[in-house]
Amino acid sequence: MKLLTVVAGVMLVFVFVWERVDVVRLGYHIERLKVQKVLLERERDQLQVKVSALTAPERIAKVATEKFGLVPPLQGQVLMVHEPREVPGIPLLPAEQVRLAQHVSTGRTEQ
Amino acid sequence: MSPGPSRGRRYVMLLLLLCGFGIILFRLATLQVLQAAELTARADRQHQKTVSFEGARGVVSDRHGKVLAMNVEVPSVFGVPASLESPSAAARTLSPVLNIRSAELERKLQQDKSFVWLARKVEPEQGRRLEHLSMDGIGVVMEGRRFYPKGPLLAHVLGFSGMDGQGLEGLERRYDSHLRGEKRVTVLQRDALGRTVFPKGLAEQIPTPGHALTLTVDEVIQYIAEKELEEAVTHSRARSGTIIVMEPRSGAILALAVSPRFDPNVVAALTPDRWRNRALTDTYEPGSTMKIVVAAAALEEKVLTPDSLIFGENGRMAIANTIIHDHEKLGWMTFSEVIQKSSNIGTAKVGMALGEQRLYRYLQAFGFGQRTEVDLPGEVSGLLKAPKDWGRRSLASISIGQEVGVTPLQMVSAVATLANGGVMMKPYVVSEVRDEKGRLLKEVLPQVKRRVVSPNTAKTMTTILEGVVTNGTGAKGAIPGFRVAGKTGTAQKIDPQTGAYSSTQFVGSFVGYVPAEAPRLAMIVIVDEPQGEAWGGTVAAPVFRRVGEQVLNYLGVPTEDTVKIALAMKDP
Repeated sequence: MKLLTVVAGVMLVFVFVWERVDVVRLGYHIERLKVQKVLLERERDQLQVKVSALTAPERIAKVATEKFGLVPPLQGQVLMVHEPREVPGIPLLPAEQVRLAQHVSTGRTEQ
Repeated sequence: MSPGPSRGRRYVMLLLLLCGFGIILFRLATLQVLQAAELTARADRQHQKTVSFEGARGVVSDRHGKVLAMNVEVPSVFGVPASLESPSAAARTLSPVLNIRSAELERKLQQDKSFVWLARKVEPEQGRRLEHLSMDGIGVVMEGRRFYPKGPLLAHVLGFSGMDGQGLEGLERRYDSHLRGEKRVTVLQRDALGRTVFPKGLAEQIPTPGHALTLTVDEVIQYIAEKELEEAVTHSRARSGTIIVMEPRSGAILALAVSPRFDPNVVAALTPDRWRNRALTDTYEPGSTMKIVVAAAALEEKVLTPDSLIFGENGRMAIANTIIHDHEKLGWMTFSEVIQKSSNIGTAKVGMALGEQRLYRYLQAFGFGQRTEVDLPGEVSGLLKAPKDWGRRSLASISIGQEVGVTPLQMVSAVATLANGGVMMKPYVVSEVRDEKGRLLKEVLPQVKRRVVSPNTAKTMTTILEGVVTNGTGAKGAIPGFRVAGKTGTAQKIDPQTGAYSSTQFVGSFVGYVPAEAPRLAMIVIVDEPQGEAWGGTVAAPVFRRVGEQVLNYLGVPTEDTVKIALAMKDP
């Protein structure tokens, strides 16, 4: 019984020490991952800036005209024969479907 | 029994032990009590590191999510003068890397300070070269730098932020409290090798980035407006120019272009004159575009009808010891023709028929003399005197757009009111604010300000303004395939030398909306001090046409012909 108690005690101490060491080890590991995450985020942001700069309409227009020799269409050269394309975010809704903020009219005739 | 040590020797031993313990106790007391505070602080300095974190500034994007402004981490270089053996040698080494004069770096490194900035927010390549040099007493830390990847595009609206991440101009300033990241100071533990040990709960201590803004602006429409404005200003050798494109039904601003442009990435060498948003901060005498307001007021008040006849006095009329001229000798005209031919005399007569109080009331109702409350900083209210301060000629002058100062935004808002059936909307630029996880914090919905005129008056005005483009002064604003309603304006500027109207300095403008029957765009084009021909119909109306044509194509708005073909195919 005594031996069992001593072994159990030693095991507990071992587990405690192992747990403390592992916490420190994990701490360093997390720190390394954090550094890696920061570096990846930095790279992502730099790539995002590059994408935004490369897709700027001014640059695309310049490449289109100077590199590929394209020119803007002249009057009458654009003819839409299908359903008109709606640009997302700018739909022309019927007046009754337009969502409005709270009415703050101070004018002479209320809507 | 052997005799023990003598009593004297025992006392000596005891005394020595007591002295020894006494010394230890004294040292303990000194360390733990007397020097406790100082030693604790020293220990903390060795194994703790205080770090100030500031979350990245929020992203600004256009209505389709195209990034217009964002933060990127870049290196900043600092020095610790006490750790340098030779400040002059360090300065000579750093000078070619940082592109700063050696003498200037040496002066900084010789200061009696524990920390000095040598160069902040430099290019990443410069930071890498410094890390390779690995110099004692010279360090590199990463800081957030604001980037505007589209360069000058929308610069007057976006504004810019300062070195410490504070918004200084434009939206960066107006929405600074949203855009700024959270600032937090935290203490990190260091081990014997100086490495940072992960402390408990650090994940919760990382400051959150600022909120993201989504704008109503469309970068393609903005580009079209800026490109055409630059061409117009360059071609006419004008001083400056402004274009605002607005969605009449909502008040959302789709584009706001100001010339000359500037690059918000490089503002150090620029003056405020360059980055001022003239669309809100500058007022001008609108000239003939103000006739739209007078005409709408007269129709609403039933002072006359579109067919009422008005005599043009053959181009010359005396009022209050002054003469009002028309650009041509005009006789009898209908009220519609007065607007289409932009007759000063005819409009002055309409203004006089309305009277001071009614005209003033409508000028206010259309938003003149007060801020539009757009969500941009620096807006002015313009100049609109109360009738009690009007002179004998003021009623006629104001009717033709003199003696009154308006901003381009006020004028386009007023005209957008007619395009929207007589209901004035509040203009706005930011449509959404989201937190770092993309959760919607604020959604800006179109906001009605007031009804200004009835739908019937708005409809009649649309017909009259269509006539300006088809038969009047605004012919060059016509867009093939679309019905355009608009009005030209040519205003003389006041010569600061003489205080009188200049005969050489003008503001040419065109304001209107398209398609007239179901307006998608309200737009104003202003060209300030064009050289040579300065008529609004000559310098501004063609710009309206070019921008309108491209934007309508981009939005996929069908031309009248397309609609007719579609209807014919549907119902053969």
